[in-house]
Amino acid sequence: MRSIFSWIWRLDPENHVILAILDFAIAVGSLLGFIFIRRASRRRYFRRRDERTLAIRKRWDAIVSGNVPPEAWRFDSLDRDIVEAILLDRLDLAPSGEAERLMHCLRSSGLLDIRIYEAGHCSGWQRRRALVCLGRMHAAEAIPALAEALGDPDAKVRLAALRGLGSVGLPEASAPILERVVLGDLQVPAAPLQNALLNCCRLRPSLLLSYVLRAEDSVRPLLARVLGEVASQELGEDLLLLASDPLADVRASAARALGEAAPALGLSALANLVHDEEWFVRLRAIAALGRLHDAQSIPLMVEGLCDSNRHVRLRSAAALARFDAQLEEIFGLVRQKHDRYAMQALVAELERSGALLHLVESLPNDASYQSTECLLLTAFRAGAERFLVDILAHHVDLHVRIAVARVLARSGEIRLIPTLEQLAASAPSWRGQCVTRWVLQQLRESPVPQPMG
Amino acid sequence: MIFRFIEISNDTLFAYYLLSNLIYVVLLIAAVWTSTVHQRHLAGMPMTRLMSSPLTPPVALLVPARNEEKSIVESVHSLLELDYPGLEVIVINDGSTDRTLEELIEEFHLLETDLFYVPEIPTQIMRRIYVSPDDGRLLVLDKEWGHSKADCINAGVNAASSPYICVVDADAVLEKDALLRIMIPSLTEVHHVVASGGIVRVVNGSVVAGGQLREIRLPHRPLEILQVIEYLRAFLVGREGWAQFNLLMIISGAFGVFRRDLVKQVGGYRTDTVGEDIDLVTRLHRLLQETNQPYHINFVPDPVCWTEAPSDLRSLGRQRARWQKGLFDVLWRNRDMLFNPRYGRIGWLALPYLWIFELLAPVIELLGYTTLIAAALLGVLSRHFFLDFLLFGYAFATVISIGSVLQEEITYRRYNDWRDVTTLILFCFLDHFPYRQLQMFWRFWGLWQYLRGDWGWGQLQRVGFQSRDKTE
Repeated sequence: MRSIFSWIWRLDPENHVILAILDFAIAVGSLLGFIFIRRASRRRYFRRRDERTLAIRKRWDAIVSGNVPPEAWRFDSLDRDIVEAILLDRLDLAPSGEAERLMHCLRSSGLLDIRIYEAGHCSGWQRRRALVCLGRMHAAEAIPALAEALGDPDAKVRLAALRGLGSVGLPEASAPILERVVLGDLQVPAAPLQNALLNCCRLRPSLLLSYVLRAEDSVRPLLARVLGEVASQELGEDLLLLASDPLADVRASAARALGEAAPALGLSALANLVHDEEWFVRLRAIAALGRLHDAQSIPLMVEGLCDSNRHVRLRSAAALARFDAQLEEIFGLVRQKHDRYAMQALVAELERSGALLHLVESLPNDASYQSTECLLLTAFRAGAERFLVDILAHHVDLHVRIAVARVLARSGEIRLIPTLEQLAASAPSWRGQCVTRWVLQQLRESPVPQPMG
Repeated sequence: MIFRFIEISNDTLFAYYLLSNLIYVVLLIAAVWTSTVHQRHLAGMPMTRLMSSPLTPPVALLVPARNEEKSIVESVHSLLELDYPGLEVIVINDGSTDRTLEELIEEFHLLETDLFYVPEIPTQIMRRIYVSPDDGRLLVLDKEWGHSKADCINAGVNAASSPYICVVDADAVLEKDALLRIMIPSLTEVHHVVASGGIVRVVNGSVVAGGQLREIRLPHRPLEILQVIEYLRAFLVGREGWAQFNLLMIISGAFGVFRRDLVKQVGGYRTDTVGEDIDLVTRLHRLLQETNQPYHINFVPDPVCWTEAPSDLRSLGRQRARWQKGLFDVLWRNRDMLFNPRYGRIGWLALPYLWIFELLAPVIELLGYTTLIAAALLGVLSRHFFLDFLLFGYAFATVISIGSVLQEEITYRRYNDWRDVTTLILFCFLDHFPYRQLQMFWRFWGLWQYLRGDWGWGQLQRVGFQSRDKTE
């Protein structure tokens, strides 16, 4: 066997290799040339585009009102693109009066018709671009063209059409999507589909509900998820049907919807969902109860605080922490549960949300001083020890520090002594030292901890 | 006998060099095509709608931090400011011996919490869990040192509640919309995207302030500029090309998104390897191929993560040796997948490529250089031809390096200043001589260390963003 090099050698290798080197040198030169020429041409293009944009903006009102005839700019592709881009950007943010004026311009100038034509007759990238632009025009006339593209064999075209329909944002635009979804005739990813429906059904969620009720099990959770987001009071008691759905995902979405729609019997439906076998249904139910913020639901949320799932516990704690006025009742209910983790979760959330600080700061002026002090003692024993010691050390209001000192003294916790001794030694002010030493003295004199509450 | 060996060695080198560059040409073409399609896809993408949609799935950003006191606060601030609707930032302090945890506690007024932590993936002992009253999205885990970044990430996976996790290095800076962009394939592609990697770029030389990238500039040190080119080639050509064929085997440990349920299903990151990122992707491929699930592991070229590259030869050498050790470890552990029909194209294409053109590259190249020089000296090969061959190989590879700069130029254009582009192009001529040979040496050293049983991480000297602002 001979070497590859020997074989190359017979082919007069030096010439070949030198030619190859030359070729690569030319390739390197071409790449460099391409990069620099492209840079220069792009600079020129952007300069020209900026100039044209400035000129168009100067005549903008005349263009929109039609005083400058569309023929003056429509036949130049750069001008047309600039006008369309400005129109679409403004349309996204315009108030209704302005939007009507812009829509009139889109229609009368023929921009809408051009895009409808492109959506029906072009292919590939051009068609997708036309579909996306049509959506941004928010025009009802665009719906048939977009709906037709939903049936395209190309997944990217279907996706562009879906986005377009979503951008139109009218309830009528949801009908072609929902029809295809229910028939199992629309193969698109879940996220864009849900986003499109979210935009279209926001104004009329009842449209979606009827499809959720008759859709097959494979798509019902997907539609129900959107319903959970757009639900409003218009849906009323119809939502209760979904709360007993055999699919857990649908029940979870129903819980969310109940929190938004707040029907008369919503609380009892949510009470059932709080005991659901699936943790995420319970989570949604607790979150919905938190949104309803009804004091009647406190016992349910306390049950959630003792849930086997940590997410449900945390969500319950977050919901309960918002009931400032009922904290005493909440603490009482949690204490009855004899669940250490539940109490800790509640106290941690109160600490995080600032509710505990609010409670401490109200202590010096509180009419129901005794009960607030009891609450703080309970919180102290459930893990707020460091928080209260920090208040004692650093709070700007001396009255608050004194009130906290009383709570700490009543706690009878002798294991606080070393910490407080350090605190007393490092306290920057004489008053701070006095307060801390007083707590120390009280703790030393009553070494037996007092019963809780 | 010696002459015969030299001939075989030369043949191997020739075939190897030609094949390696041809593969890169194919990858370059695939990458340019993919980038163009991706750019057009993005043009119709309503990012604001994804941003405002309540249906966009939440993502947990996992930030492993060990002795990162210099940059941790700025990094966390920049992560909390990312454009993403459902964000959960979990910083995992891996038993730092400096003030990493204290810096976080002071800056974010962290409070200790009794959050219920279930170590579904076993990790080192969790000491404390902190939440921030200022920002409910921030969670800080303080755990015992696990001697590996993987242990940290696993703790984060356990604590996360989002369906997706994104691992970010504590010293990295993400562009504001990077997370939204990296999630786009997971949200909009018809394929079942289970993981996506973003591009990692070199931050050295750029201006970072307040945890945000203020100005993008090329670094000044030649070694850093060469790394810029290397990263461009690796990410914009290599990974983008491989991902196009669903053969991506590496998602950078500095920035990547994964489905959390799958990460848990494969048992999390492996803690006894230095190549935990490539190991995870390989195990995902293994799981999904074995269970015949349709899937796609994606690379998204525009969400940018800026990271500090080593600026001295010693640190760079250690880093490259470590990467090589990690690669060796993972490939060796998964050697049963090689040419195994059960693993389809992963077993037939991706893994063989990694074995031949990544793992064994230093051995083949260094041996090839030696025998080529010997052949020229002993007269087995014409000296003219020897030089011509070297020039040919050099020119071919340089075209690919310039191609990756071109790919950057026609698509993402992060380096706007024409002086930066000129510098990059000039340094492309140094990329294959002498930088490549240096790398081969370090990688060879990594292999040697691994074979000798030295599997450690080694230390990297970090400058940190704050000092970078002052010095540059």
